[in-house]
Amino acid sequence: MHRLVANTRKSFFDQGYLDEQFVQLEELQDNSNPNFVEEVVTLFYRDSARLLYNLDQALEKRPLDFNKLDSLMHQFKGSCSSIGAKKVKIECTNFKAYCNARNAEGCKRTFHHAKREYTTLKKKLESYFQMLRQVGPTEMACRPR
Amino acid sequence: MTVEEIRGGVLGNEIDRFPIGMRVLAVDDDPTCLKLLDGLLRKCQYQVTTTNQAVTALKMLRENRNRFDLIISDVYMPDMDGFKLLELVGLEMDLPVIMLSGNSDPKLVMKGITHGACDYLVKPVRLEELRNIWQHVVRRKVESKSKSNNDQDKSDQGTENGDQNVKSNRKRGIEDEDVEENGHESDDPSAQKKPRVVWSIDLHRKFVAAVNQLGIEKAVPKRILDLMNVDGITRENVASHLQKYRLYLKRISHQANMVVAFGGSKDASSYMRMSSLEGLGDFRTLSCSGRLPNATYAPSGMLGRLNSATGVTLHSLTAPPMVQPNHTQNKLQPVVPAMLPNQQNLNLFQGIPPSFDLDCQQYGNKPNTQLASFGSVEESRIFSGTKLADFNSIDESRIFTGSNTFTDPSAVLGSQSALKLPSTASESINLLSTSPTFLDNHSTNFSSNQLPIGNYNYPATLNGGFGSNITTTATVPLEPNGGGLVGDIFRNVNQSLLNQNQNHSQKSGQYNKQDYTQYSQNAFSTLASSALAGGGGGGLGGPVSHSRSNGGGLPLIHTEKVSMRSSDDSLFDQTKLQGGFVATNGYGSLDDLMTGMMKREQESTIIMDGEFGYDDYGFGPNDDSS
Repeated sequence: MHRLVANTRKSFFDQGYLDEQFVQLEELQDNSNPNFVEEVVTLFYRDSARLLYNLDQALEKRPLDFNKLDSLMHQFKGSCSSIGAKKVKIECTNFKAYCNARNAEGCKRTFHHAKREYTTLKKKLESYFQMLRQVGPTEMACRPR
Repeated sequence: MTVEEIRGGVLGNEIDRFPIGMRVLAVDDDPTCLKLLDGLLRKCQYQVTTTNQAVTALKMLRENRNRFDLIISDVYMPDMDGFKLLELVGLEMDLPVIMLSGNSDPKLVMKGITHGACDYLVKPVRLEELRNIWQHVVRRKVESKSKSNNDQDKSDQGTENGDQNVKSNRKRGIEDEDVEENGHESDDPSAQKKPRVVWSIDLHRKFVAAVNQLGIEKAVPKRILDLMNVDGITRENVASHLQKYRLYLKRISHQANMVVAFGGSKDASSYMRMSSLEGLGDFRTLSCSGRLPNATYAPSGMLGRLNSATGVTLHSLTAPPMVQPNHTQNKLQPVVPAMLPNQQNLNLFQGIPPSFDLDCQQYGNKPNTQLASFGSVEESRIFSGTKLADFNSIDESRIFTGSNTFTDPSAVLGSQSALKLPSTASESINLLSTSPTFLDNHSTNFSSNQLPIGNYNYPATLNGGFGSNITTTATVPLEPNGGGLVGDIFRNVNQSLLNQNQNHSQKSGQYNKQDYTQYSQNAFSTLASSALAGGGGGGLGGPVSHSRSNGGGLPLIHTEKVSMRSSDDSLFDQTKLQGGFVATNGYGSLDDLMTGMMKREQESTIIMDGEFGYDDYGFGPNDDSS
């Protein structure tokens, strides 16, 4: 099981879902902060849900308010980078580029990608944390490498 | 450990322990990022406080400047622009601020630098980066220490350097220390010199009086020291204090202008908004130089940063030659003392400052250049209801906060800040300063809203001639409790402002007049209550800002502005008076005060032409008619 957990985790990095920032989160987890990573990620989900919803709404408007879109996406991107959500962040960057170019189609397209990546990552992380819980607290303490 | 401790302590020892337990305030609207920051900072063994609202952060900081050593703030926040927060913190608290953003655009980084950030981090933040942030706190400490040694040089350089210093101060961390730290009192906890001289209100009053006597331009530490004739302070102490004072004045005037112009909400936000409107840069500059005398009125009509007659005078006073107000101030000064009829009045006065501040904020709307002179810059800060730290000298603003926003007014009063209001620019400040003193006396009174504001007939003509301002307050039947005082103060403030305004232009006058009427009613009540509650930091300022704090709710705000305008002038004048004002807590009857003021007004060439038609300041009810 430990190996499975370790491999899963490794795959995140290998496949580019997560980057070093996630490692930082893990490093901040210790006895005084035993569930730090999961807490941060949970916060991320909650906040992202809100931001994505706002983005969705903003993208429905006609004409598109690119400044607003940019600003919303900036927030979302910031959150992604905080937890190391690499793929999602890439899509966010693309989105912002399209925004600057005032390219509505590009924006919508990349937004879909971003949402997809986000959902994928969320699922993966959720099952990962579940795995961690099953493995037991010790797993958390000694981060499997 | 408090910043002061850190700063005051032996550098070596302090530094050894220092990074551990450093108190950091983290502000970021992104909860994910905030939590991450929290975790990272705790890992560095800092003591972390987090908030996702800039407004809350500002409030916490204003409540106790010494509670934190360092602030980390996001740039993009919904309730307040990070740069604004940065500026405000720099101005009011002079704490190191680190900006944080997901955007690494060099332009933003530059903006951070110009606004005084001591560092700029890009998200996601790494642990290694945070491990080193304590250096910014230490650097300030070290610089302030060395600055104190250089005080003499700096103060002697006078305005020029002051201005430059101010600007560089804003840069945070470099020369700022010099300027900022020079002042002992003020709002600059971090700028403490080793042998701290406590600038009590009394001391400050003497200082202000000396400065006024010499003329802000000619005031040099040695002469000030001689005039003050006080033992236990060195020329260096005076020099650094002077520097701060100058910055404060400048800042106030700038703020005043900004406030007026923007009529922002009474909070820092509004204040900041104003700044932004006016051109943050400008503001910042002014802010930096806040202490500097208003003389430097920025031409930008509205902002008239310089004199920003207490910013409150929102009337777009086109940068009136604020300098004049200074003159008037002198005149006013004598009046001021007179104005404070009695203890009660004092209370009023106290009350006023808070309101004053409030108004200032309100004023933001009006592009009032007029306000400028009074160091409105500071005032505007004050008005913002939130504790504007620098009303007079940062401390003052605190005083005003009596009403909610103001930091404990009584406390403020105690601080000499009141005195800080230098003659000219700080006129408004002075007023406020005086308030503090008053407040001290009557702080108890005020807190209970003694001022029955209702009675204040805030003469609409506040801005109108000098007299009008005064009258308005005068007419206010100062409540027994001190309402009178407030009224007086208000008037005085107005008067001063008026004078100031006159100098500047009548424009505000007109405005004032009308405003006053409305405001007077409201203003006073609001002011009175606030002033009282607040402890009447700047009585004068109080009325104005106090009501305003509502953010426009009160008509007072307008008046306040108006009055502020004049008040600014008056304040400036007042400041002079303030010296007297403050000193004489027990002013004679209001009438005397008013008369005094009026006389001053009349004497001064600035005749506010009574837009309100107040030439005759008879503060009685009939004064309003103008």
